[in-house]
Amino acid sequence: MGSSPVAPVLVHESGDSALRVVATGPDAAWSTVHRLADWLDAAGADGVHGVVPTYDSLLVEFDPTLISARQLRAFLQLGVRQLANDATPDRAPREFDVPVVYGGSYGPDLAAVAQIQGLDPEDVINLHCAKTYVIRCLGAPAGSPMMDGPDFPVPVPRLKDPRLSVPAGAVAVAGRQAVIAPATAPGGWQVIGQTPLSLLDLAREPLVPYAPGDIIRFHRVAESAFDMLSGRSLAASR
Amino acid sequence: MSGVLQVRRAGNSQVTDLGRFRGPRFGLPVNGALDQWSARAANILAGNDDDAALVEITALDFTAATTSDLLIAVTGSPATVRVGGRPVRQWEPVSVRAGETIRVTGITGGLRTYLAVHGSLGAPRLLGSCAPDTVIGFGLRLADGHEVATLASVRPIRQPYFDLPLFRLGPRRPDFTAPRTVCVTDGPDVDEFGDSAHLLFEAPYVVSARSNHIGLRLGGELPERQSSGEVLSRGVPVGAVEVPSRDELLVLHRGRGVTAGYPVLAVVTSLSLDTLAQARPGDAVIFRKTGTAEAAAALRAARAELDTLRRTVNTVFSALGVAARADNDPAAHVAAGA
Repeated sequence: MGSSPVAPVLVHESGDSALRVVATGPDAAWSTVHRLADWLDAAGADGVHGVVPTYDSLLVEFDPTLISARQLRAFLQLGVRQLANDATPDRAPREFDVPVVYGGSYGPDLAAVAQIQGLDPEDVINLHCAKTYVIRCLGAPAGSPMMDGPDFPVPVPRLKDPRLSVPAGAVAVAGRQAVIAPATAPGGWQVIGQTPLSLLDLAREPLVPYAPGDIIRFHRVAESAFDMLSGRSLAASR
Repeated sequence: MSGVLQVRRAGNSQVTDLGRFRGPRFGLPVNGALDQWSARAANILAGNDDDAALVEITALDFTAATTSDLLIAVTGSPATVRVGGRPVRQWEPVSVRAGETIRVTGITGGLRTYLAVHGSLGAPRLLGSCAPDTVIGFGLRLADGHEVATLASVRPIRQPYFDLPLFRLGPRRPDFTAPRTVCVTDGPDVDEFGDSAHLLFEAPYVVSARSNHIGLRLGGELPERQSSGEVLSRGVPVGAVEVPSRDELLVLHRGRGVTAGYPVLAVVTSLSLDTLAQARPGDAVIFRKTGTAEAAAALRAARAELDTLRRTVNTVFSALGVAARADNDPAAHVAAGA
């Protein structure tokens, strides 16, 4: 396996302390922003606080009293040039199997999602379990694994009234995306199921066991299995 | 010598620092003191590193008793501050004797008052920061009866019987007059709002009671997104101004989720985020447009003021024999004579 391609990037102002870097290549956008994030992290430049790589973009937060936006832009372009010449193979992805109880109180929006898709709830479950998901990025809240969604016929609209509290472990979909909630938080995505496994461990670093690029598969378990598996931590199967 | 702060009345208070800067990489918000200027100033006045753990007191009264002699500084929103019943000044170092009670009451004008203790406070850390994170349930949110370790003791350096402040270090205090002016730069998605973007600068907005450390909600004339379609989740900066509904403007603050799918209309400058941290529900806010270079220059100037304050404090404290900067070496915490 060779290293992923690197796309050209455009850099946009995003306030006095952040830049939004957008990769412009059609295929390489995702790998570019994640490799650039890793490169910046490893470089440990003074005044660069943090990087938030997502799908086609990367937010770089910095302290403008320590590094100017102009210096940081030049540094980012240096990173892109270095990565383009770097033949280090990509990290092999780890795989995670996630048991899910679908529908009922575990997945209160399963029926609504099925209706929107013109499918039976069983078809929705089967489509959700059929796909191998690549974690695209860690998002809010609390390091949620953001993934490209199941192969549904149409995008899933967000809830008109977001819930004030969605439990940890909630398995949800919105638009063309899929996610698992590591922590209880408000949310506007449609919840179709819940995993009994814990994703977040504050005593561990990193706090979640997966990283962008890793693979997730969902499989259905019976409601009776929920309590038995409850509290166990998600771990890589390979 | 270490001791404890015995929290008698916690109100709405927590132990925090400047934030979890490594958090966003892992999907956690930065959090930390919402009014960064006041938090830095409190720590500097207490002879600490800017990033030391301190108490953020929001809106409600706070009372704590001490078990050892302390040197403290209180900054942020104006309030009535008493130590052992004596009124004391904010924005100055203050000596507290063992057994005395620190009272912060009647927070007015602003919303958040900061209490720093020389030598800092004991608090659990996650990714290098003690800043509470309400989403994952981490951090030291204070409750009545809590005891927080104070990591250094300083013998009184002020005669409590003369009612004269010992210090007149005089750092700049934030402006708490209404309406509050908040500077913003154009957001990366300003074009998506077309001609309606200018509405942000036409008339004042009013801070809603539904505002918190995650974001402030403001009512007023709302710019409207002209484009449609799903936006992929992207990293959003602290200070991002979004229009998620037809009812209110949303300004994300330090507790914000690191990713969102709404276009960013504008971004509040670092300095004006401190101003917003002190805005109370019902306060009027006027947005003013600036550029990123101008905003960065203003931030550099403000930090230079803090550098000057730090030098002054170091000079005064070393003359008094107080370790000017807290560190982990107990020998560095030399007690000062009265």
